[in-house]
Amino acid sequence: MILEARDLRKRYGAFLALDGVSLSVREGEFVSIIGPNGAGKSTLINLLTGVLPPSEGHVRFKGRDIGGIGPVALARLGMARSFQLVQIFPGLTVLETLQAAVVSRLGRGTRLFASLRGDRQVQAEAIEVAALFGLADRAHTEARALPQGDKKLLDVASAFTLRPEIILLDEPTSGVSTADKHMVMKILVGAARQIGLRAIIQVEHDMDIVFAYSHRIIALHQGRVLADAAPAVIRADARVVDMVIGRRAPC
Amino acid sequence: MTANLVNVLMGGVFHAAILFLVAAGLQLVFGVQKIFNLACGSFYALGAYTGVSAVGYFTGHGGPPALFIGPLIVGGLAVGLVGVVVERGLLRFVYDRDETFQLLLTFALVLMLEDLIRMTWGTAPVSTGGLYLSYGQARVLGATVPVYNLIVIGASLAIALGMGFMLTRTAFGRIIRATADNREMAEALGVDMRWVYARVFTLGTMLGTLGGALVIPATAAMSEMGIELIVEAFAVVVIGGLGSMRGAFLGALVVGVLRSVAISVYPELEMLLIYLIVIAVLLWRPRGLFGAVPA
Amino acid sequence: MRTPLVLAMAAAAILVLPMVAPPYHVTLMLPFMAYGVVLLGLNLLFGYTGLVSFGHALFIGIGAYTGAVLTTRLGVRHMELILPAAALAAALVAAPVGALCVRYVKIYFGMLTLAFGMVFYTFLLKFYRLTGGDEGMRMLRPSLLGSEWAGFNKTAYLVGPYYYFSVAVLALATFLMWRIVSSPFGLCLKTIRDNPLKAESLGVSVPRYRWYAFMISAVYAAVGGALLAPPTGNVDPTLAYWTHSGNVVFMVLLGGFSSFFGPLVGAFAFIFLQDTVMSVFPYWRLTFGAVLAFIVICAPGGLMGLFARRRPVEIPRA
Repeated sequence: MILEARDLRKRYGAFLALDGVSLSVREGEFVSIIGPNGAGKSTLINLLTGVLPPSEGHVRFKGRDIGGIGPVALARLGMARSFQLVQIFPGLTVLETLQAAVVSRLGRGTRLFASLRGDRQVQAEAIEVAALFGLADRAHTEARALPQGDKKLLDVASAFTLRPEIILLDEPTSGVSTADKHMVMKILVGAARQIGLRAIIQVEHDMDIVFAYSHRIIALHQGRVLADAAPAVIRADARVVDMVIGRRAPC
Repeated sequence: MTANLVNVLMGGVFHAAILFLVAAGLQLVFGVQKIFNLACGSFYALGAYTGVSAVGYFTGHGGPPALFIGPLIVGGLAVGLVGVVVERGLLRFVYDRDETFQLLLTFALVLMLEDLIRMTWGTAPVSTGGLYLSYGQARVLGATVPVYNLIVIGASLAIALGMGFMLTRTAFGRIIRATADNREMAEALGVDMRWVYARVFTLGTMLGTLGGALVIPATAAMSEMGIELIVEAFAVVVIGGLGSMRGAFLGALVVGVLRSVAISVYPELEMLLIYLIVIAVLLWRPRGLFGAVPA
Repeated sequence: MRTPLVLAMAAAAILVLPMVAPPYHVTLMLPFMAYGVVLLGLNLLFGYTGLVSFGHALFIGIGAYTGAVLTTRLGVRHMELILPAAALAAALVAAPVGALCVRYVKIYFGMLTLAFGMVFYTFLLKFYRLTGGDEGMRMLRPSLLGSEWAGFNKTAYLVGPYYYFSVAVLALATFLMWRIVSSPFGLCLKTIRDNPLKAESLGVSVPRYRWYAFMISAVYAAVGGALLAPPTGNVDPTLAYWTHSGNVVFMVLLGGFSSFFGPLVGAFAFIFLQDTVMSVFPYWRLTFGAVLAFIVICAPGGLMGLFARRRPVEIPRA
């Protein structure tokens, strides 16, 4: 068990966003978290990534309590994330963005007088990841000039560059055209294998993607776990279908 | 003994009354337009110099010295209309920019106004001479206080109440508060921002120039008065809380009285104590007394 | 890029200047070089890390007064000792001040730095027994490379040994800053400037790096401040006044904060523009205020932004 959350509760003032959520993620799993807006997904992500401490319960990563430790410490422990609203560095090129991640991972951020360009390891790894994500031909493009889909890929790619053991993807295909969604997911899964990621957690709204890639689906509803099972079981669960997935209209 | 204390306190309250006017203008502009106007001190100086000229013109043309406060106030308010020019001509180009650039534009204003004042009135201090004691002095709790001071304190209090009334009871005041709270929503509800911004900024400027005019009989108009006052006004709004009128009121009292006390006890301290309090407030309670919690 | 050629020409011009130009213009280069050092450091904070300090004059003042105190009170005349001492003094103050300030951003950071700057100003002004009050302190002629240059009168000293000493300091400062911004550290600063949230998610501790940038910029400011003093021979509290902080930020903006050499261009433009304007028209503040307003509204990339043929500068948004 790599990531474990037990009886998580989170209060914002009088409002209870999460009410006793427990989940676990094991080696080799691709877990999707689904749920309507307001179900508490954002709060859960913030708790799982150590951004906020739980009001009750705990989150453990590799056995360590990570409640509220913050993104910097978490990155060092081996968990990375990408963002729902794509987060990039507008003024940096694709390559510079990836280099920054490598620099951070290797702990070379305090090298004041070393040459970045001369750091062969940083340069090589950045190019490698760029190629993995199909961004190699735009390596020197400034992030703000990239099309939206590529920005998304860059956001994810830079998280991957940290070579985390587990990654949390917040709506990795939102804002990506339907035609490209599967392409993005293929790249992601391929890169994960190459880097040796031990587990992937994603929050997704697109049910086709969810069912195509997940080993396990966790359905969240009003701050509680409605169901936590394999896709086939979830598909057959009427409550989940009603409250979360919705029915496909007859054509 | 108590006479001395009362003197110190009254001096502090008088200074607070002036500070409140300038700070209120600063708060209004920050609350609605989210711009920290470094030039509020310069407007204060502008009001001071204009006040001296207005009084000089008045008495020079046979006006009775006892009525000097009339032209003083008129002059102070009239020159505040320069706020319209500044807002429409300069400030409106940077509303969509990062606040750093907005701040730097107000700094540009500080520079320009400093020299414009110098060009118009020269570098020597000017004053209204002996008119300060035209209204005589009064005995308050054993101390002797110029009646002029009491008039200004009263006027400032009246303006504070007037501002409160305007903000809570009038349509314009509601629009101001709505815009300060959520600009996009106010715009979506049909409020014309150009009109609001122009009026708010001019009102803020006029409060500053009025403050400058009112302080004039008690002191002389000097070229550094603007850039010196801004740091006091800044202390007031930090302590009171950015964007809050009540904050301007209480903050002005705190700064005015503390400064007065500090000077009488240990002159070297003066502003040092105020700055240390500002730093302490920024570190432990950045929102001050009444401000919103900073993002 | 034509940069190496331009640089070489500029370097040659600087080195040759004292031999061809009248002493007045040569002495004008001295504050340019001092401010050049200051601004290189300030732009690390502003252009590369995204923080605007309204209290940078604090560190300029620390540097200048270090020189004054060392030469007049402690009998230390070696510039080679004064500069490191100024740097050390700045670092010692910047460590706690910076640690407090970098937890805040934007206007709160500006306000805190302004407050700290004014605390120092008030201290310099009021504690006149220690600091000489509003008249300030003298700084005696420092010795350069071990020599007093006693045979040189003041002007000859300034346009000769002191000039070349300043060039050397500026060159070293520029070289070091170039290394810093091209380093992995420099890249991390840029990530913080562009997107602190994302930077943190990549493991870059935003307050810590801002603190480092703050301290480096403070050290540069103090070294520049120490260089500022000998030509006039006097330091006074106005060096620490908030408008002085505003002026140096203006200089950076004038030159262009998005370019490495922007600060140097800005220092040069400011000093020489000020001199030119003052000889024609006593109201240089009016002119400069108008220039600053123009830059903010129409040309936020400054002079370098106008010269560069790239796409317009991205104005940092909230």
